[in-house]
Amino acid sequence: MTNDHDAHPAFSANKIFITLFILTAAEVLWGAVLFKHSPHLVKWGGLIVFAFWKGILIYTYFMHMKFEGWIVKCLIAPTPVLIAIVIFALMPDVSNNSHLVYPVGSQIDKSGTHPGKVVGLMDHPAPAEGSAEAPHH
Amino acid sequence: MSQATAIPAHDPVRQGAHGHAHDDAAAHHHPIYDYDSGPPVDRAKFAIWLFLATEVMFFTGLIGTYLVLRIGTSSWPNPENRLAVPITAANTFLLITSSWTMVRALHAIHNGSQKGLIRWLGCTILGGATFVSVQVFEYLELIHHGSLPSVDIFWSTFYAMTGFHGLHVVVGVIWLIAIWISAVRGKFTPQNYLRVELAGLYWHFVDLVWVLLFTIVYLM
Repeated sequence: MTNDHDAHPAFSANKIFITLFILTAAEVLWGAVLFKHSPHLVKWGGLIVFAFWKGILIYTYFMHMKFEGWIVKCLIAPTPVLIAIVIFALMPDVSNNSHLVYPVGSQIDKSGTHPGKVVGLMDHPAPAEGSAEAPHH
Repeated sequence: MSQATAIPAHDPVRQGAHGHAHDDAAAHHHPIYDYDSGPPVDRAKFAIWLFLATEVMFFTGLIGTYLVLRIGTSSWPNPENRLAVPITAANTFLLITSSWTMVRALHAIHNGSQKGLIRWLGCTILGGATFVSVQVFEYLELIHHGSLPSVDIFWSTFYAMTGFHGLHVVVGVIWLIAIWISAVRGKFTPQNYLRVELAGLYWHFVDLVWVLLFTIVYLM
């Protein structure tokens, strides 16, 4: 058994490069021109597909993962699982946001006058002392 | 107990991924044990992939935090109104091109072309340095207009993500310059270019991360 790999397997770097170039152009066109004002599902969905497509091409061919032995593949295999765990761990912060005492983004200006501007927590006074919902500082 | 013996010439474990001896002990016929408890892959390559896996988790944390803040916030500024998307798109093309030139550099030394290695590595360094220069210019322009990380959550997440990535690009450029100097000195041969490959892996990773960051920060 050997885990050695062909250091330079035959693949066309030029073709991968041109594909990446086209995908980047298509992505910019999608996000900044064609679906600029579309719902998030359409705009973000397309952008994520383009980004992952490009990422997979770089990972598979430029980083030679397709041609690596099992040991390197096993080494990197837990990473997507760990990423999934991080994403699932973060989900409650997003899905239960409206139920939080201080929801994520509650300190951001909602008036639209200064989008993204931090205006503090003054608009969301803390619950009365002794309340079960009182935040721990 | 294994007997002390020299490494067999055909032993892929001891010889690394390219079939050439990386072990000085073998080269000098020092007796060593013939068993190996290490992974059946070149140690340096094993280490760089392990390092890259940790880097993936580092950027996952940054991007995950950004997404929570972004999705949880009812009003988020349109990136196009704040950032120079066309210039950064051109910069993205540049970084992808530098990844391609890195592949060409590796192919060049694999085929025994020292000049090709030096030329393509030089192109990669130039691409990386230009990318960082454009990013620094962008930062200076933003700061000049008062867009500091302390202004709002958009800018703080923007600077955190692009700043850490930029730092990785700077490290990559310095690494590639070191490889380029070794290449000029003729240190690499078709049988010995693992250091070029390792630097290339890091460089492609930096490119991969930017592909995702550009989409998330500038286009979404």
